[in-house]
Amino acid sequence: MSASVLVPSVVSPVVVSLYLPAVFTAILAALIGLLAISNQKNDLHTLILTDIVGISMLILVAAVGTDLAESLILPGLVVELAEIMAISEILMSREMRKLGKTVDLIPLPLSMNMEILETAPTFIAILLIAYGAFLTGFTGGAVAGGGILFYVLSKMSRGVPNNTWEGVAGVSGIAWCLWLVGFLVFFIAPSYWVLALFLAAFGVFIKVTFKAGLIGVMGREEFKREKE
Amino acid sequence: MDLTTLGGQFIGIIPLGDIVLYFTTFNLFMFAAVLVFTVLIAISRTESQVEAQFGTLKDREKKVGKAEFKIRRFLAIVCGLATAGAMITGDVFDFTLFVALIGIVNIGIVAAVKEIDVLDSAFQYGIIAMIASLPLFGGAAFILASTGTLSLLEIVNIPTTTLMLFGSILLFLGVAGETGVAPFFATKAEMFRTPGSPFLLIIHLSSLMVIVRIIEILLIINKPF
Repeated sequence: MSASVLVPSVVSPVVVSLYLPAVFTAILAALIGLLAISNQKNDLHTLILTDIVGISMLILVAAVGTDLAESLILPGLVVELAEIMAISEILMSREMRKLGKTVDLIPLPLSMNMEILETAPTFIAILLIAYGAFLTGFTGGAVAGGGILFYVLSKMSRGVPNNTWEGVAGVSGIAWCLWLVGFLVFFIAPSYWVLALFLAAFGVFIKVTFKAGLIGVMGREEFKREKE
Repeated sequence: MDLTTLGGQFIGIIPLGDIVLYFTTFNLFMFAAVLVFTVLIAISRTESQVEAQFGTLKDREKKVGKAEFKIRRFLAIVCGLATAGAMITGDVFDFTLFVALIGIVNIGIVAAVKEIDVLDSAFQYGIIAMIASLPLFGGAAFILASTGTLSLLEIVNIPTTTLMLFGSILLFLGVAGETGVAPFFATKAEMFRTPGSPFLLIIHLSSLMVIVRIIEILLIINKPF
């Protein structure tokens, strides 16, 4: 096998022999997905089935199995998610225009206008954000973001103030820039790695916090509206 | 064969860790051309679409709000920068990522329009672009598996194998689907009926430039001469 030229001898032959089965699995899965798409008339089902083809793409990349391939899976996954989100947004806005009415992002069957939603969310959100700041990095961002998301969802029954929401979006953007600058410093001036590390760590903390808090609802009227 | 066979004079590289951008006369020219067009599109005034009507002498004017144009201008600039990056990158996977970004941004430019027909064709283009990400990234993965590297500066010295040829054919299929050229153009053609013309031009320009660049990359990988 010509591939063995490139593979170091420490890698067991079982791992090397898994490459071809993995590639065939991916191609087979993609073919099944494509056959299903070609028979499908419902747009929503087509969109969901397209994800199968996208996942076969990830299998193809993962089959290579080197550390370089591992670092390629994440961008592949992000591209995949970005595309599916963009297309589903198009599908939603098309259906809304066809029907001529808008739909709530999170339709609540009940009017949840309860006293506890006024007082408890602030305390729990502050607790989660403080713990997230202690953790820093991606994990901390996820924890603190959960806090913000909890706060927003609880307050949704009364409406989140417009200005606060746009301010959060702005801070998220600035933190993202910090993160990027941190990475650029790694590449351009590796001797300042401590600065770069802290820029990247706190940038990603703040960014993931607000990103999880914002999840796709930034531009929606949903949270800006004052409900009675 | 080396990079200068196609690219003319080799001007230099920008080493950013293991991400290497390189300049030859050919791709420097394309890079500069894309940047100039991006700047022209970024500073251009917005247009409103005028349609003649049947049975009357009046025209129908479609206006687009300023807020919508702001988002579209931003996406057009992102698309231009992604195209410019695809011109000078020396890494096959970076190239595929730039192409995928162009695909997403193309959907984004027309996503906010109010015409149902345009949204319909944008949806179909999006489905094709998503399916095309399989051959796009799969082709790059095959090239990685058969050569052990993704750097064009290295691949140019490695003798071509059958798997590399197969990978580069997949790569071409992926780029064709992602930019919506020849066999897939039917999904994309209707998208141009959107009002708001200066920002739509970048969709044309990016697919044109990316096709020129992918042909150069395929020739570098397969070394026919």
